[in-house]
Amino acid sequence: MSDNTTKAREIAKKLLQDGTVAMVLGWEKGDQPYVSAPAVVRDDAGADRLVVDEFCIHDLAALLTDYRDSSDKIAIFAKGCDARAIVRMIQDRVITRDRLYIIGINCPGMKDPNEYARAESGLSKAKPADKAAKCQSCQYPNPVIYDEILGEAQQPGADQRFAEVEKIESMSADERYDFFIKEFSKCIRCYACRNACAACNCRTCIFDETKPQWVGRSTDPVNNLLYQIVRTMHVAGRCIECGECERVCPAGIPLMLLNRKLIQDVDRLFGPYQAGLSLDDDAIPPLSRYRVDDPDEFM
Amino acid sequence: MKSFLQYLGIEPERYQLAWISGSEGQKFADIMTHVVAEVKKVGPNRKLREEHE
Repeated sequence: MSDNTTKAREIAKKLLQDGTVAMVLGWEKGDQPYVSAPAVVRDDAGADRLVVDEFCIHDLAALLTDYRDSSDKIAIFAKGCDARAIVRMIQDRVITRDRLYIIGINCPGMKDPNEYARAESGLSKAKPADKAAKCQSCQYPNPVIYDEILGEAQQPGADQRFAEVEKIESMSADERYDFFIKEFSKCIRCYACRNACAACNCRTCIFDETKPQWVGRSTDPVNNLLYQIVRTMHVAGRCIECGECERVCPAGIPLMLLNRKLIQDVDRLFGPYQAGLSLDDDAIPPLSRYRVDDPDEFM
Repeated sequence: MKSFLQYLGIEPERYQLAWISGSEGQKFADIMTHVVAEVKKVGPNRKLREEHE
């Protein structure tokens, strides 16, 4: 059992026993060695199931939306990306800081369980990478917000955030359109990208509405692309680049190509900005606040 | 939004945004003429249509 797992269980038990929190959000081993699934534990027996290993890739912060109406105090484990997601959740008033006890994890990068599942089942001959694709260019492996912390501080990866976007931009307009339509013809509208997203925390989602129905629900390439255009616009300036949408996509659509493009646009129009780094007033996303000197070209 | 649509391969001429007050009739007319002229230049839209094959 790894050092972090032992410590995580001790911390969880202590917090539950002394009544600091009513529940702990962490990970437990799933049905495969390469699966560490999100877990909600409320007692010692539960705390003994918790693990912190190299497969804890799920972003736990998105689960906080399930507890927005309760008043329970929650302890939550947070990697670098999860911590940024938690900051966003607090800024979006999903939850208050005083209801959270954040156990930070300095994250060395996680492994992608999907890659292991594909390799094991023989669907893919590729050897699973040491680090998930989304972790390779991680800029904030160390939590920006926490009450206590596990592990040694880590170095950020190489900054290649916009490399893929630039590749797309070098293509012609028709090539770009054909590329995206081809990618989105694979979409099955499972909405996993929305459900895994920490920025998608609206109580009522526009895509669940039927009166009026804003976006067609059939799975044709155009409606699929329109769905993602709307979703990307809605999370613009609030996306923390955790890459969960892309990771959970069963069709393997490169969704971060869209998110990163809008991040680039927000940087260009409002000045460099990265979401979820701080709870300060001046760290509110540029599209969530008003300033007199905001550019006119926001749409 | 315009830059985003352009990124997706949509002609930027098709999406134009302007602030026009209720009292700016002439400005409205000018901008509409401009929009129509620009869209005629790029021709009929073939992208993001429901009947996409």
